Amino acid sequence: MNASEDVREPLKRRRNGAASRHVGFTGRMMLPGIVPLAALTVLPFLTIVVMSFSDVRLLGGMRLDFAGLKNWGRFFTDPDMGWFWLRTAGYFALTLGLEMVLGVVLALCVWRLVRGRNLVLSLLLLPMFVAPVIVGLLGRFLTDPTFGLYTWLLERIGYDGDLLGDTFTAFAAVVAMDVWEWTPLIALITLAGLSAVPPTLREAAALDGAGRWQTLRHIVLPSISNVLLVALLIRAMDAIRYFDIIWVTTNGGPANATKIVPVRLYETAFRFFDFGYAAVVGLAMLFASIVVARLFVRMLDRKGLAR
Amino acid sequence: MSVLDTPNPRRAESAGQRETAEQGKRPASTRRAPRGGSRSSPLDRTGTGTRIVILVVLVLALLWTLVPLVWMVLSSFKPATAITSAEPSWSFTPTGEHYAGLFTGGNELIPYLWHSVAAAGLSAVLSVVLGAPAGYGLARSEMRGKRHLSFWIISTRMAPIAAVVLPLFLMFRQVGLIDTIPGLVLAYMTFNLPFAIWLLSSFFSDLPPALEESALVEGCTRWQAFRHVALPLTKPGLVTTFVLCLVFAWNDYAFALVFSGPDSQTLPIAASQLVTQAGIDWGQLCAIGTFVVVPMMLAGLAVRRWLVTGLTLGAVTGE
Repeated sequence: MNASEDVREPLKRRRNGAASRHVGFTGRMMLPGIVPLAALTVLPFLTIVVMSFSDVRLLGGMRLDFAGLKNWGRFFTDPDMGWFWLRTAGYFALTLGLEMVLGVVLALCVWRLVRGRNLVLSLLLLPMFVAPVIVGLLGRFLTDPTFGLYTWLLERIGYDGDLLGDTFTAFAAVVAMDVWEWTPLIALITLAGLSAVPPTLREAAALDGAGRWQTLRHIVLPSISNVLLVALLIRAMDAIRYFDIIWVTTNGGPANATKIVPVRLYETAFRFFDFGYAAVVGLAMLFASIVVARLFVRMLDRKGLAR
Repeated sequence: MSVLDTPNPRRAESAGQRETAEQGKRPASTRRAPRGGSRSSPLDRTGTGTRIVILVVLVLALLWTLVPLVWMVLSSFKPATAITSAEPSWSFTPTGEHYAGLFTGGNELIPYLWHSVAAAGLSAVLSVVLGAPAGYGLARSEMRGKRHLSFWIISTRMAPIAAVVLPLFLMFRQVGLIDTIPGLVLAYMTFNLPFAIWLLSSFFSDLPPALEESALVEGCTRWQAFRHVALPLTKPGLVTTFVLCLVFAWNDYAFALVFSGPDSQTLPIAASQLVTQAGIDWGQLCAIGTFVVVPMMLAGLAVRRWLVTGLTLGAVTGE
């Protein structure tokens, strides 16, 4: 390829009208949104990378001193850190698992509902709109050892401990609060999937002599498997984001029982003011969420829905 | 578009239907026809046993869901003694003292309320205003690297809050945005703007381009085709995006915890501040909780039809 062709190439493209003007227009449309977004994400990303290699001092004027791999080394050798990640994995597996199972069961029941379906669904959806911090505080109210409604109920059935004060029950309680808030989301998404299963498919199965359970297992569930996967990925991406409930209920305690990684990060940064180390933890979390986002996009791609 | 293999009648309909909507709403019954039809088929005759199981599950689910909320609203009207009684009390003389207490004495909720409205409202408005053209551009663009751009957008939306808060805290401190409403708005834009772009682009890609093309043939500029054809047809998408952005920002606690101060604290912060060493004023907490929660529930339910599309970022469409 010689130089003159290089020069002519862009000209030709410019001259052949529609296509290039098209790109230009959509590009210009994107700018006002993309530029601020880039500023709001690329700059913080670069900052957090720099932070992870620095000692960050806040008092007496902010200063970043190069610290080499110190923070990273600590991250990979800190034995506590491993436990926090394991606990986080357990917390995610438990909340996501429960939410998926309960959400699907709930959706199947609502799906079968003939009358009052809209009302029931609307009522069931309410927890999703409750600010997580309120969910946490309300949870504390309900499980208050002296006058909590749920404490009282549990006493009727023979349990009289401090729910949020014991390591095992505290963990169960924060899981339950998360499940309370987000199961409706799974149910809602699943229901959308179920409503799109063509009735003819189920009729055909029935004609072939499939029982109710078989139809569900072999016809209905497989045809909504994609929707279920979307629900799982969406929930997984959000689960990495939120930690408000734990922060206002147990604050990671008792004895670190509910200290998942985001809580640990907050504590490291805003209680111990160790920003460098917190940045490393933050980058690790970012990496984890990008893996999930990647799966989500890959899945849309496979269905030919890449945008 | 949907990840479902099956075509989705609701969505396919919706673009064309919207124009007919003005001439008279199609009766809900015609839209539901297929579902009603399927019910008459023999396999849907649910057995009594199954029906009982379903009812039991639904009643339990409703109790599990609603009891905390009802208890919160009830307690917000209870006299303090009834709240802290060991036996739960269901009958009491309702009082407005907790609500009144939020606005008098040492507590002055109005500034918190104002901060919440300003920060959440502004970030939602800005997200939609910037996100609509950007989403449209993304939907109609054929440029190379579009997939990378899309992926970048969604991964910024999904970035863990804790990881975003850290660098933003240093940056905001440097430029004096800590404890300001613009600082909070900017912080909320980190998750609302990518959400709006991605979601609106999914709403726009569901519009058949033919509509805009015919507008171009009529002599419209591309901007006019967007402004007068695409935008009005995406109204539900715009409203849904706005509402969800509003809910996300309004409910935020993690950002406000770090970035806000006396001049910018929001309602969730006010709620958490009622938890003190000296004890918790549960009556006021329930009142504030009711205050925070009810508007978002109403807003959320108002867009229920598009909620699935919104919350799955357009990956699933449906009821």
